[in-house]
Amino acid sequence: MNLLSLLIFVPIVAGLAALAIPSRYAGSFRLLSLAVCLIQSILLIFIFTEYKSGVGFQLIEKIPWISLDLGTWGILQAEYFVALDGLSLPMVALTVGILLIATISSWTIDKNRKGYFILLLILNGAIIGSFCALDFLLFYVFFEFMLLPMYFLIGIWGGPKREYASIKFFLYTLLGSILILIVIVGLYLSVKTPDASDRVVHTFNVVHMQDTDNLIPGSALALDSTSQLGPYSFRLWAFLLLFVGFIIKLPAVPFHTWLPDAHVEAPTPISVILAALLLKFGGYGLLRFAYPIFPDSAIYFSWLVGFVGLVSIIYGALNALSSRDLKRLIAYSSVSHMGFVLLGIASATVEGVTGAVYQMVSHGIISAMLFLIAGVLYDRTKDRLIENYSGLAVKMKSYTAFVLIAFFASMGLPGFAGFMGEVMIFFGAFQSHSANGLLPTWMAIAATLGLLLGAGYYLWTIQRMFYGTYAVRNTLTDLPDLNRREYLMLLPLALAALLFGILPQLLLNFINPFATEFVNTWFPFEKLLTP
Amino acid sequence: MELKLTEISDSVWHLLPEWILISSLIASVILGLILTQNRQTILHALALVTYLVAFFIIIQQWPSQPTSLFGGMLRLDDFSSFFKLLFLGGGFLTILISTKKRVATASEYILLINAIVLGSCLLAMSMHFVMVLLSLELVSLSSYILAGFGFDKKSSEGSLKYFLFGTVATACMIYGFSLIYGLSGTLDFSSSQFVSALSNSSSTLVLIGSFFILAGFLFKITAVPFHLWAPDVYESAPTPIVAFLSVVPKLAGFAILVKVVLSVNLFGQSDYPWQTIVAVIALASIVVGNLSALAQTNPKRMLAYSSVAQSGFLLIGLATLSMEGIHFLMFYSVIFLLMNFLVFSTLHQYEHAGEMLTVDSFAGLGRVSFLPAFSMLIGMVALTGLPPTAGFTAKLLIFSSLWASYAETSTGILLILFVAGLIATVISLFFYLKIPYFLFLKEVPSNAARTKSSRSGNLLHLILVILLIYLFIQPGVLMGWINQITFVL
Repeated sequence: MNLLSLLIFVPIVAGLAALAIPSRYAGSFRLLSLAVCLIQSILLIFIFTEYKSGVGFQLIEKIPWISLDLGTWGILQAEYFVALDGLSLPMVALTVGILLIATISSWTIDKNRKGYFILLLILNGAIIGSFCALDFLLFYVFFEFMLLPMYFLIGIWGGPKREYASIKFFLYTLLGSILILIVIVGLYLSVKTPDASDRVVHTFNVVHMQDTDNLIPGSALALDSTSQLGPYSFRLWAFLLLFVGFIIKLPAVPFHTWLPDAHVEAPTPISVILAALLLKFGGYGLLRFAYPIFPDSAIYFSWLVGFVGLVSIIYGALNALSSRDLKRLIAYSSVSHMGFVLLGIASATVEGVTGAVYQMVSHGIISAMLFLIAGVLYDRTKDRLIENYSGLAVKMKSYTAFVLIAFFASMGLPGFAGFMGEVMIFFGAFQSHSANGLLPTWMAIAATLGLLLGAGYYLWTIQRMFYGTYAVRNTLTDLPDLNRREYLMLLPLALAALLFGILPQLLLNFINPFATEFVNTWFPFEKLLTP
Repeated sequence: MELKLTEISDSVWHLLPEWILISSLIASVILGLILTQNRQTILHALALVTYLVAFFIIIQQWPSQPTSLFGGMLRLDDFSSFFKLLFLGGGFLTILISTKKRVATASEYILLINAIVLGSCLLAMSMHFVMVLLSLELVSLSSYILAGFGFDKKSSEGSLKYFLFGTVATACMIYGFSLIYGLSGTLDFSSSQFVSALSNSSSTLVLIGSFFILAGFLFKITAVPFHLWAPDVYESAPTPIVAFLSVVPKLAGFAILVKVVLSVNLFGQSDYPWQTIVAVIALASIVVGNLSALAQTNPKRMLAYSSVAQSGFLLIGLATLSMEGIHFLMFYSVIFLLMNFLVFSTLHQYEHAGEMLTVDSFAGLGRVSFLPAFSMLIGMVALTGLPPTAGFTAKLLIFSSLWASYAETSTGILLILFVAGLIATVISLFFYLKIPYFLFLKEVPSNAARTKSSRSGNLLHLILVILLIYLFIQPGVLMGWINQITFVL
């Protein structure tokens, strides 16, 4: 068992083992959860020492899993295949960090601690597993495996409308994953392993799927397939299904409506995980599966991908501007920021793709911070309406400092991580028109509006809540400033947001080789420009 | 038809499992008369032992050369043996979960379950329309009585409805037999005479006759539009009986349906679009079953509609008319048996605390006792078809065969079925999750009945849960076994 498998299964095994601990030892569960996160952090350090910056997959572990004889069609083969590359390593690192902070943030959970921490541990393993899996079936299993824990975490420990929010989250996400499953079924039956044997071996191996030489000639998803359905060929449909499936998770307009509800109702640590990690599967899925497996279709639909991204940027920002609830504002800002990821991916340039991955990491850090900030206020007053606060800067000095850092980082101010991601996405989007002709320049120009609106809603919120004379409506209690535990959560995030803003090379060392290979392999400019 | 005495005496030994069932059936009647009322557990034990013995004899017979018995009335092959194992397993589990004993009728209860298992075994082996009719009626008549075993007004109503629908379906089937007999001159649907006569006949009566025959089987498997009896029967009958009726007669119906459909399709030579007909029925069952289940608040009515939808998924395997599709149908049948018994058995355990008339009555019980609620959750997740349960594997395989079949034939209805079936999974989540939702997410009302979770019940559920998860991780164990089954008609 290599390091990666340990990283995935330590939390799952710990979670199952915790079932045996009687629930009267309520304090032990959070300690166990914290211990697991610390072990994972140590494992992560080992992973970084083993990982050599460069191209391709590393720390590979491959074990045969399912091998089914399908009679005349050949053999179905699924593997336990996990590995890391420049795309998944930053995601896994982000996951370990965020889950550590989410566990600290869960310290105050009192209701049924046993259930809560067991679900959190299982969720932990499932998230890392999904980021590492290179077998489409394995990915799907981990991906689905996140749903149930998340459903219960929102549905049991959430706010007043938690039941509605949790079922809406579940249905939306399941719809997305069913669309993905449709493609998985069609795809594995169209793909065979390259090694020649007398029987066809249908594989779920994503690396094999990404190589069009492995498509079975005459199958429905073959490059020269003549199968049509309505206006599009099957390959185009398959890409569209994957695209919709993943942007539900991202989420992009018009499939974003589950997000504000889920965020507003979820408890703070779960909001943090949802925003910082689960949303990343949208971008990750497109970069890992949809784009490399169907590059031809991706080029065909790049305008659509870019346009959906643009709409999300602007629509999300406008909604954030009109939100009265602080958490809802942050949720909509997430929609807006994840729209940039789509725009970067759609440009299919090295800058754009690098920026998209960078943006995913920086959004992970910053949105975690934003939701923790909303949580701090909610813990004290059980009220998140912006209009009920003013002049908080007077009473909560260090809290205000962190809010300013988080807001400015999210706005994309130079010096913070958010700036690096967005600026590279803009490079890519502007360059796309001349480099590969996929995105029109007006899209890049229109997307800058998102930055302006972002500055608008954040500055306005600061003005309303933190400036002026101190007043808090509906609350008689005094508002204490940050306590030690809250410092412990916010300080590392703030430092990370600064660090990746000042020393982008730390991340680019991993992301850039991936993006270069991604573009050169599947979207080379010379191929795209010659008609 | 000439039948040699030696042939009969040869055939007798092949039916050893059936003989054992018959002897046990007679023994339970006699023991019921002799035994005092508080010794009736012996009857349960007898039935359990019978099923186990018959089960192992069938395993001993495996793998067998297809053997024609009694001059072509029955045939023993691996296909029928496979289903027979499932029926015995279903009967075994039913007796095991029948914990609410009604002492006065214990022997009749065992007898009827025995009779249904016996009828199902014979039905799976039938190769002749008369034999089909006899064994199907053995199953049906016993089921009508069992459905009334709640001994109240509602149960009688359900039983009567079941009876009325059932007799009409049987009448249709007999009418179909007579039409097909008139056209082909034989009742043996595996004979070459049957195939050649029907393929030479250009009469539309072939279609009509065959469809009438299928109606009888579609009634048994609760496929739309022959599903109307299911909700009432499921709601009123005792829960172990519902679990039994939703699995054993249904799978028996599937076993014979597969044979007859392949036969009337004349192995692809038929002029009539049997693939489309089966696909439309599957589609209708999935859509109607899932949409009707959404509105139900009674858990058993909800599961009745879920059972209709599950039939639709099983039918997909048949709709491909391919060997692989039918293998996957058999895989799905095993998983269906496991998950259905898991759900109904858990439901039954909750019923000990009081009648569970609506899903609200589950509110908060997941916090009172964890294990039954967890079993219920896994059962429901499996029925929805989500990992990490074998319900997912079963659905994945059956949809794979559908996709392959579509890619081969480009029949539009198969694509519609593919997409609608998968989308229906999302819809089904909504009602399958209803009970776990109340179990875990709702607060316990102050007057809630406390469930005593029985140890033996929990153990059974745990075994079923582990099986469902194990078959997800290692489906090859079961599939490798199913792959050995070939069937020639």
